[in-house]
Amino acid sequence: MKDIFTDLYNKVLGFFRQTENKQEEESAKDVACNRLKFVLMQDRTNLSPELMDRMRKELIDLLSKYVEMDKEALELGFEQEGSQMALMLSIPVVRAKEEAEIEAILAKEDEENAAKITATENEISDEDTSDNEIKDEESDNIDEDSSEDADEAETESAGDTNDTVEDISENVEISVNETHNKKSASKKEEKETVASK
Amino acid sequence: MTALMEEDIKINTEEKSEKTEKGDTMSGRVIVITSGKGGVGKTTTNANIGTALARTGKKVVMIDTDLGLRNLDLLLGLENRIVYTIVDVVEERCKLKQALVKDKKNPNLCLLAAAQTRDKTAVTEEQLKDICEELKKDFDFILVDCPAGIEQGFQNAVAGASEAIVVTTPEMSAVRDADRIIGLLEAKEEIKSYKLLINRVRPNMIETNDMMSVEDVQEILSTPIIGVIPEDAGIITSTNKGEPIVNDNKSLAGLAYNNVARRIMGEDVPLLNLKEDNSVAGKVKKFFSNLFGKEK
Repeated sequence: MKDIFTDLYNKVLGFFRQTENKQEEESAKDVACNRLKFVLMQDRTNLSPELMDRMRKELIDLLSKYVEMDKEALELGFEQEGSQMALMLSIPVVRAKEEAEIEAILAKEDEENAAKITATENEISDEDTSDNEIKDEESDNIDEDSSEDADEAETESAGDTNDTVEDISENVEISVNETHNKKSASKKEEKETVASK
Repeated sequence: MTALMEEDIKINTEEKSEKTEKGDTMSGRVIVITSGKGGVGKTTTNANIGTALARTGKKVVMIDTDLGLRNLDLLLGLENRIVYTIVDVVEERCKLKQALVKDKKNPNLCLLAAAQTRDKTAVTEEQLKDICEELKKDFDFILVDCPAGIEQGFQNAVAGASEAIVVTTPEMSAVRDADRIIGLLEAKEEIKSYKLLINRVRPNMIETNDMMSVEDVQEILSTPIIGVIPEDAGIITSTNKGEPIVNDNKSLAGLAYNNVARRIMGEDVPLLNLKEDNSVAGKVKKFFSNLFGKEK
């Protein structure tokens, strides 16, 4: 008799556990939808999670000059609205900054920038060849990774033989072409950049 | 090539005056059927939509652009009738008309087969465009069967088309590739409209939340739907027989393909309610809809 009750008790308990598990566990369909949405955002924007993270950090740096915000709670992501994609940014503002405070930050930044510019101008005038200038302009046009690569290669090859310099400029040209192709590849992507701007 | 086409034009205009009583020149619609991913049913879709359109009395030509991997001829059961291929036309070994293979049953239906021994570089975008322009004069519908992938084969197939049907299945990889294709189609100015065909839908799995639903796929791709085709074992037997499933009035997939053809022609046909399919009521309904299908 006791066995029957314990059996029944376990069965009832098991039933509830099952339903609980079912609620907790996402269905295969939901998993597929969420994974797909995530991967399509990457495909459509050409932004890897690392790049998204970087964009997030840069946005925080930029915006925190003007408002004091909850950096942890900042939400950044792409959302599909019909055929248009939108970059959604949600920032909880903790406190508005004083005008003087903002101006002080901006003034300090301007000073730093001015110092940077003079520093780079000095560097360029030190290096006498005009090739390097062209290279710099090109590397501005191309995406982060390759420009970083080019910069690294540049520092390595500074003062080296002509051969290596030619190699680098070839690499840079190729990556520029690739980005151009990407740009012309689809209107959709163009639209996205407009939307995200 | 140009000399060849001039000759063709003469022949065409002569025939046209006989065929079209109204006397206005025919200008066919060029529809490319593409998917990105392979094995989702592009060629099956092509064969069935083409056959369904031809059954309504429209003049239809199908172009297989999958050079080196042709299969459309097999699905139509025409593999033994091919004398010339699209490459023979391009390389001027025959006239365009000579290369068109007539269907066994339906004289309104023709196939321009791909070459099996050549690769994708044997035909250029311009040449395909010219062929499509030429066929437009004689046919109501030109269906272009696109190879899988997004490389030159895709670019060629899309070159002459002004409409596109993107075939996908409710699977992640197929949907992802379809998204890529839609992005590329959007960038093409010649493509005026593109629609989604969701193939191999399993209502049972959708009901148990094990498969993405039609609505899910539509939401993710945000593209209008031209048709939903249920998974059907009959597709395999029909392929084995070289007989498109639209000719089988008992088949649900065949009915779905027929509906797609009607939608292409501008009819407002609601999507099949696949959910009801397994209930008794659904079976009775299906029985009656098949009866009506037969009468037509």
